[in-house]
Amino acid sequence: MACVYIPVQNSEEEVRVSLDQLPRDATDILDILKAEQAPLDLWLIIAREYFKQGKVEQFRQILEEGSSPEIDEYYADVRYERIAILNALGAYYSHLGKIETKREKEDYFIKATQYYNKASRIDMHESSTWVGKGQLLLAKGDLDQASSAFKIVLDGDREHVPALLGQACVQFSRGKYLESLELYKRALQVNPQCPAAVRLGIGMCRYKLGQHEKAKQAFKRLDPENVEALVALGILDLQINEAAGIRRGMEKMQRAFEFYPYCATSLNYLANHFFFTGQHFLVEQLTETALAVTNHGPTRAHSYYNLARSYHSKGDFEKAGLYYMASVKEIDKPKEFVLPYYGLAQVQLHLGDLRSSLANYEKVLEVAPENCETLKAVGHIFVQLGQSEKALEYLKKATKFHPRDHEAFIDLGELLISTDAGAALDAFKSARALLKKGHEEIPIDLLNNIGALHFEREEYELAEEAFKEALGDGVWRKLIDTDTKGNRQQPDPIKEALYKPLDASASVEKYRDTQLFSQIEEAGVSVELPWIKIPPLFNLGTLLEHLHRTEMASILYRLILFKYPEYIDAHLRLAAIAKAQNNFHLSIQLVRDALKIDDKCPNALLMLGDLELKNDDWVKAKETFKAANDATNGKDSYATLCLGNWNYFAAVRFDKRNAKLEATHLEKAKELYTKVLVQHSSNLYAANGAGVVLAEKGHYDVAKELLTQVQEAASGSIFVQMPGVWINLAHIHFAQGDFALAIKMYQNCLRRFFYNTDSNVLLYLARTHYEAEQWQDCKRTLLRAIHLAPSNYTLRFDAGVTLQKFSASTLQKTKRTVDEVRATVAELTNAVRLFSQLSAASNLHIHGFDEKKIETHVGYCKHLLEAAKVHLEAAEREDQLNKQRQELARQVTLAEENRRKAEEQKKLQLEKRKQEEELKQMQQQEEHLERMKEQWKHTSASKRKDRTHAEDENGGRSEKRRRKGEKKRKREKKSRYETEEAGDMDDQEEMEMEDEYVNRNYKQTDNTMNDDGDEVDENPQDLLAAAGLEDSDAETDAVENPSAANRKRRAWSESDDDEPTTRHTESSPIRENSAEMQVSDGD
Amino acid sequence: MKLAWLRTQDGAHGDSVWTTTWVPGNEESPALLLTGSLDETVKLWNPEDLSLIRTNSGHCLGVVSVAAHPSGRIAASASIDSFVRVFDVQSNNTIATLEASPSEVWQLKFNPQGTVLAVAGGGSASVKLWNTSEWKLVGTLSIPRPEGVKHSEKSGTKKFVLSVAWSPDGRQLACGSMDGTISVFDVARSKFLHHLEGHCMPVRSLVYSPIDSRVLVSASDDGHVNMYDVEGKTLFVSMSGHSSWVLSVDVSPDGAAIATGSSDKTVRLWDPKMRAAVQSMTNHTDQVWGVMFRPPGGPGVRTVQLASVSDDKSISLYEYS
Repeated sequence: MACVYIPVQNSEEEVRVSLDQLPRDATDILDILKAEQAPLDLWLIIAREYFKQGKVEQFRQILEEGSSPEIDEYYADVRYERIAILNALGAYYSHLGKIETKREKEDYFIKATQYYNKASRIDMHESSTWVGKGQLLLAKGDLDQASSAFKIVLDGDREHVPALLGQACVQFSRGKYLESLELYKRALQVNPQCPAAVRLGIGMCRYKLGQHEKAKQAFKRLDPENVEALVALGILDLQINEAAGIRRGMEKMQRAFEFYPYCATSLNYLANHFFFTGQHFLVEQLTETALAVTNHGPTRAHSYYNLARSYHSKGDFEKAGLYYMASVKEIDKPKEFVLPYYGLAQVQLHLGDLRSSLANYEKVLEVAPENCETLKAVGHIFVQLGQSEKALEYLKKATKFHPRDHEAFIDLGELLISTDAGAALDAFKSARALLKKGHEEIPIDLLNNIGALHFEREEYELAEEAFKEALGDGVWRKLIDTDTKGNRQQPDPIKEALYKPLDASASVEKYRDTQLFSQIEEAGVSVELPWIKIPPLFNLGTLLEHLHRTEMASILYRLILFKYPEYIDAHLRLAAIAKAQNNFHLSIQLVRDALKIDDKCPNALLMLGDLELKNDDWVKAKETFKAANDATNGKDSYATLCLGNWNYFAAVRFDKRNAKLEATHLEKAKELYTKVLVQHSSNLYAANGAGVVLAEKGHYDVAKELLTQVQEAASGSIFVQMPGVWINLAHIHFAQGDFALAIKMYQNCLRRFFYNTDSNVLLYLARTHYEAEQWQDCKRTLLRAIHLAPSNYTLRFDAGVTLQKFSASTLQKTKRTVDEVRATVAELTNAVRLFSQLSAASNLHIHGFDEKKIETHVGYCKHLLEAAKVHLEAAEREDQLNKQRQELARQVTLAEENRRKAEEQKKLQLEKRKQEEELKQMQQQEEHLERMKEQWKHTSASKRKDRTHAEDENGGRSEKRRRKGEKKRKREKKSRYETEEAGDMDDQEEMEMEDEYVNRNYKQTDNTMNDDGDEVDENPQDLLAAAGLEDSDAETDAVENPSAANRKRRAWSESDDDEPTTRHTESSPIRENSAEMQVSDGD
Repeated sequence: MKLAWLRTQDGAHGDSVWTTTWVPGNEESPALLLTGSLDETVKLWNPEDLSLIRTNSGHCLGVVSVAAHPSGRIAASASIDSFVRVFDVQSNNTIATLEASPSEVWQLKFNPQGTVLAVAGGGSASVKLWNTSEWKLVGTLSIPRPEGVKHSEKSGTKKFVLSVAWSPDGRQLACGSMDGTISVFDVARSKFLHHLEGHCMPVRSLVYSPIDSRVLVSASDDGHVNMYDVEGKTLFVSMSGHSSWVLSVDVSPDGAAIATGSSDKTVRLWDPKMRAAVQSMTNHTDQVWGVMFRPPGGPGVRTVQLASVSDDKSISLYEYS
């Protein structure tokens, strides 16, 4: 039992103080010490004892009392003890300063400094004071001054152990482990019994120098119960990082814990261990203890980190975040311990605090610039912040540093999908290759994305392969497979069901029928379709649809519906297929099915609207479009566009008689298009619509410029099909009188978008030829249109008008050949035939023609025909005359020839008999000549007579014609109002046509966009979106209905084709000229 | 089952070639090819080298259909002016000019016995039958108007008859219309039997299988080729693959293959057993309006040939094997 004896003043007695029974109140002891004027070393011993027992307060009390001015005075001679007391206090405050992290830190250091300075004042050569000062400076992190303090001591005494240790510590802190090791070794040599710290220091130096074995030896030489050594050894073992090492390491940690349960480091390691074994309760307990026992920042950081990690893994992000934060606060530089930053970033990311998360991740990257997970995470954050450039940079870095990390490639691919499909595909393919190499299962999403990208790049076979790979095995295999080579003996229930004949009358409903699958199930084959396979299955369906393998596509969609009848997009795709085949009844039913699932589904509503338009149900359609627009809060561009188009149609259709309403509708349409353009400045369809409205208002140049830009933009993408822009541009060229360009544009459009099958575009083309007075081209074009659309009688009417016009203009010509006139007669005959057939047919059907009008045409043509026949006769006569004339000329030359010959003969004769018969011959010759002259005169006279006759006839006829023409003009005047209106209508109608395209096109873009969505992410929502896109495709055609609806009207307007005079009065002076010409033509 | 391209005559006509038919061979002449075009002519070709034998003019407005009598001696052509001209193949002498105003004329087909010429009557919603002995109108097969539908303007044009086909035994006749329905008639009793539904867009061509009177194949603007069991009134195959309208269809003489021509510029060969196209010929550069297998028989012909005509003004021949 240790005890001290305090000598009682002025006596031989001593007070025995048992050190382990020191009073709780230090004042008792102090009273004794003061009263007995005990030697100062006793003060120190007692204070130290208090300290050892953890009674810091008492320790401080005694020492402060022991360094008070009175004591200084009283014990003025006892220098060493006074210094020792001061140094003890200095050390105590240095320690407080060292462990304190708060503001008081500085105060403690200041106090410590004051004590040391006081000690120095007593004896500035006392080495222990210097050592203390060195320690203080070391604690303050002032390595250089600390070093010089220790050096002062060591200069005096090379073997001063504490100074050696201090200096070693300085060197260790400076990272000069070799020097540090030397100093520790010297200390050990000087004092082989020196405290364990020396050996620990040696071990640490060795460890730092990478001499792990020697470090181990150093630690092992220590007391096997030395907790620090055990912990160090444990860490060494753990670092071997293999099962045995880890076990040994953990055993050591455990032992350390058993010896001394308050060593924070071992607590942390144990907590770490239990974190990995999933014993979160232990983790919390251990770390809480660790936090309680240590004030050492880095260790606390570890503890907090362990705690945070534990909560993180349990999903308690709030608490995890708090502890990560606490951990981070304990750390001065991220370099020292970066993990909590990473954890904190993760939690913040999870909680949606992107900016903070990004900041923390960036701190991690400062320490570990190549960390793949961090790079990926930062990439993701940039994606979410919309900074795709930066995101790309980070993800590319990730794939560069980690070319074997398939996830990095997938992330990169997903980022690139919307911007660079090719690069995205490459990234996905790399990921697939990596997974294949590692024999890992390739995620369905990845394959689906690869397929979708191939699809987008028109690599259909590769796309199909990818989708099929994504689908794997299942009932769809058999459904898609058309191979019949299999064992035919064994009946295959799937094929049987698939090939079951359908009742023809039921076949119109086939796209709604899922019985096929029930039948397969009844046959004992289970029809399974996991939810995750739906994206690739649906995409495969759209691919097949795109490749026109429509039947197969419909089967896949129906399979989806059989298992998931709520899958709206499959309904809509089927509806689109039905609509593409003109099966509106079925299409509407399918859309209704979709609306039963969600009566607010904007895609379904929009499609329904289109179908209603097709059925000429304008009011309903508008309601439906409005509902769709409401359902999307006006955010859906397509819904807005549909309403815009509706207004445009309404402007040019309903309100012809009301200019005000027309203007309102146009204005409204423009407003809606503009609205879309404001939301999406690059929406081609809205731009197209705006262009059309501009054109409608007569701003041709602006419209042309706008539409040309749209056309250029649309040509860039294979997914954007905007024939409407081509047509609209052609219309503008036409309106501006640039027929050649208009013709070229119509033809290109036909070839490029319609496989030359669109009779409407042909009609526009014919119209342009008509205006350009290219009658043969016009006729051919119309015949082509008739061939394509045989039941469109207006085309026949137009053809008749063209023939009539052609004939009239030929007859009008001053110079014409017989062949031309003949052709005129033939065409007039055709025209008469066409008109009379229409007239006869109109008894049977209603074509929307005015019978009387046809009669007029027939009459006029017949009249023209008569006239032409006269012309023909005249022409033929002329031709005959010409021939006669030629004959005559021939005869004349012949006669000349004869005469010449005769003369020659005569000359010969003359030579023979000139002298004898000169006179006689002269007379004969004269007579002959006379005769010839007579003959000449005669022929020319008769010719002249003929000609006048012909002229007279001509004149008479033209008079007659003039009279008739007047009559006709009157009629025209009467009907001019009508025709003007009709003409306008026609114009507008054409514009309407364009608008169908507006819609169509828009849908397609939408489509692509959705596709993208689909590819990026396979959440069901995206799928829905994707599907939505697709259905838009389907909707496209719906808009076409105005044309159907207007057929009647068109018939009307086109019936006025024969009076193009009034048609384009507004468009250009050229047209007016031509109009005049036409009037005169009429005569 | 495949097609091998043999030869092409470019610029066979001055404009789009819209129709073709084989004139069967007889004692005097081997089989010949007859084509009609928008250029208002009908031309006769030697299939050996696609050399032009004769050009028949005198048609006004485009020639939409040509048909040959089974004897190979007589042929008929129809044009947009709604006249049918019947002429002697060898001499080009006009035998008759047929007109059934106001009904216009579209596809023409002689019955297998050669006694009747059927003419698709367009807007008259009927098929006109002309006997070939006196060229008299002997019958009109009218499509009954669907009950309960108003005689509105729309239904008037809906049953616009475009195409016509005889069953191999000549007892039945089927016609295709603009609205996609196919109507089947019993010719002898002059009776409408039933409709076959499945298309909703114009059926421009249809044909019975030469080996099975029950099987009817139709081509439609909806891009589908449908095969019906006429007796059972069932649709048993519906094949898609063309990217645009299917304009013409024919069944091979062995009944195993189907050939189609389409607006997508291709000629395709289909295997009905596989329910898919097995081959696609891309030699034409515009819509393919007509495809027809050469009827079997005739001297020196071992293989089966297929002819196609197109808007690109050319004629092509293929060997089917």
